[in-house]
Amino acid sequence: MTKSPEKSAGPASMELTFEVEQFLYKEARFLDTEEFHAWLDILTDDIHYWMPYRYQRYRKNHVEPTVNDMAYYNDDMHNLKRRVLRNDTGTCWSEDPATRASHAISNVEVEHTDNPDEYKVYSLTTVNRNMNEDEEHLIVGHRTDILRRVNGQLKLAKRKIILDQNIFMNKSLNVFL
Amino acid sequence: MSEKTDYHQFIDNKEGWVDRRIFWEEEIYEQELKQIFAKSWQFIAHDSMIPNTNDFYTTYMGEDGVIGARQKDGSVRVFLNSCPHRGNKFCFADEGNARSFICNYHGWSFGIDGKLGALANEHVYDEGDIDKEKWSPKQARVETYKGLIFATFDQEAPSLDEWLGDFRWYLDMMFDNDGETEFINGSIKSYANANWKFGVENFIGDAYHALWNHDSGLKAMNNGEGFGPAVQDGSFHASVNGHGWEFGTDGYADVVIGGSEKWLNYVRDIIKPKIKDKYGELRSNIFGSLASVSLFPNISFLPGIQTFRVWLPRGPKKLELRIFTIVNKNMPEEIKQEINNACMMTFNPAGVLEMDDGENWEGNTQVNKGYLTRQEKLHYGCGITREIEHEELPGIIYKGQFNDANQRHFYTRWADLMNAESWDDVPTRYKPRHTKITK
Repeated sequence: MTKSPEKSAGPASMELTFEVEQFLYKEARFLDTEEFHAWLDILTDDIHYWMPYRYQRYRKNHVEPTVNDMAYYNDDMHNLKRRVLRNDTGTCWSEDPATRASHAISNVEVEHTDNPDEYKVYSLTTVNRNMNEDEEHLIVGHRTDILRRVNGQLKLAKRKIILDQNIFMNKSLNVFL
Repeated sequence: MSEKTDYHQFIDNKEGWVDRRIFWEEEIYEQELKQIFAKSWQFIAHDSMIPNTNDFYTTYMGEDGVIGARQKDGSVRVFLNSCPHRGNKFCFADEGNARSFICNYHGWSFGIDGKLGALANEHVYDEGDIDKEKWSPKQARVETYKGLIFATFDQEAPSLDEWLGDFRWYLDMMFDNDGETEFINGSIKSYANANWKFGVENFIGDAYHALWNHDSGLKAMNNGEGFGPAVQDGSFHASVNGHGWEFGTDGYADVVIGGSEKWLNYVRDIIKPKIKDKYGELRSNIFGSLASVSLFPNISFLPGIQTFRVWLPRGPKKLELRIFTIVNKNMPEEIKQEINNACMMTFNPAGVLEMDDGENWEGNTQVNKGYLTRQEKLHYGCGITREIEHEELPGIIYKGQFNDANQRHFYTRWADLMNAESWDDVPTRYKPRHTKITK
């Protein structure tokens, strides 16, 4: 898609929203089909992939997590490549037989930002993970992304994921959200 | 199972086996809650998690919910998180700051010291209906060791110093190598459908699994390079009162797993010289080597990687894992973050090493639903004849860190406590060099 003269504020056009949704679905497919190198290719080199810890606190004690706190993920490209490398070693026993995961992406909202090449995108990721003989887990996360247009193509530049679960209900988080 | 069950029947340190039923049976689990978790010193929080007056953190001792709270005088109190009126929890937050807690059900309030205060609509009670001192939640004994807050509900238990015993010789190089430690803010909490002991025993002595199970994780962290060959020379198991530290003396293998050159340099240039000055050459070589540690009954950590965790029992077939990152207070912020990121990459449910562990422990546990399967024994015989006397290392020492020794001694301590009617029945099975034993 060629660069369109989008306004710097206000709601995104249907065309842009459609393009962003298609990007998110494609990303979800790469994750479901374990095409992790294709996934890395649609991230910017300065990607920040962050999923902070959760606590429940009283409303009056509420604090926002920071990047200096504990986190499930607080990754740059180097760290994400490490995670992908683990799957490529051939000795990743727990992924053989493979995990079966489905990413359903919904609640997509697209906003313009001060940078005409970047869009703020809200979405909900609902992941059904089935693994081993019969284990099934549901993982739901609220995502706030920054998508950047690089050479005409959308790429993911930033992702923050907030889980609903206070205690993560599973032994492992072996799927990207 | 009758009251007179001898729990030593479930382990055999001569033949080297453990009975699988201890990872599955409800009756054994109930006895663990009574004999292990109602008696042992257990980790509540690190001082740095509740630094200010009225700061609190909620956790569990066994399945008993407790609140650890910082008092005006700087001390910490630990008390049951259950209203003495109808029993509901009176604090539903994981942590925070509060002058008091008020039970949602009828509005009974409790001070930060855990004592019952005002009741909502108190006028419905007549004079003499309630003695508030008597009807306050049960309080635990609290003692600290170098920033770690421990509690026990057993008034007869030995002091924390005696409970840790000569294990302090080892603990000092982790918790006092360059001044005070602190935890990075927050923790990752997760469930696994596994018996709590499988997590503890993995960290207490199981260097063996790393070579095979974590090959992919280590390669991810170490530019595609896996572990070197298993080295038994110059590596050991040390057991004291059921606590266990398995370690090499190469100096850097665990630091390398973190994959941070800045942290590696900091260990070499700052930490090791400090340990050498304070504690001598041997301990400066131990810190940072391939190693793992558990404190009886349910704390573990990795010196050099700096993950710290507690395994909370949630029934015989489920555990809650709480993971923290421990650093020295005086480290530059950049180093603290290097360590925190390395811990996050490796040891949390999304970590490239931890992801494989949970799978094993669930498998170990869940197969025991098979009646015949759980009548079979598990083999714990590795290195069974390798016990040595060491001139410097305190505790029960075995040569070679690829060994089941610490695991065997963990289960021996477990059986000692499961059988004990009083603390006089609990033997000291190591020869103390640095600790005075009173019981």
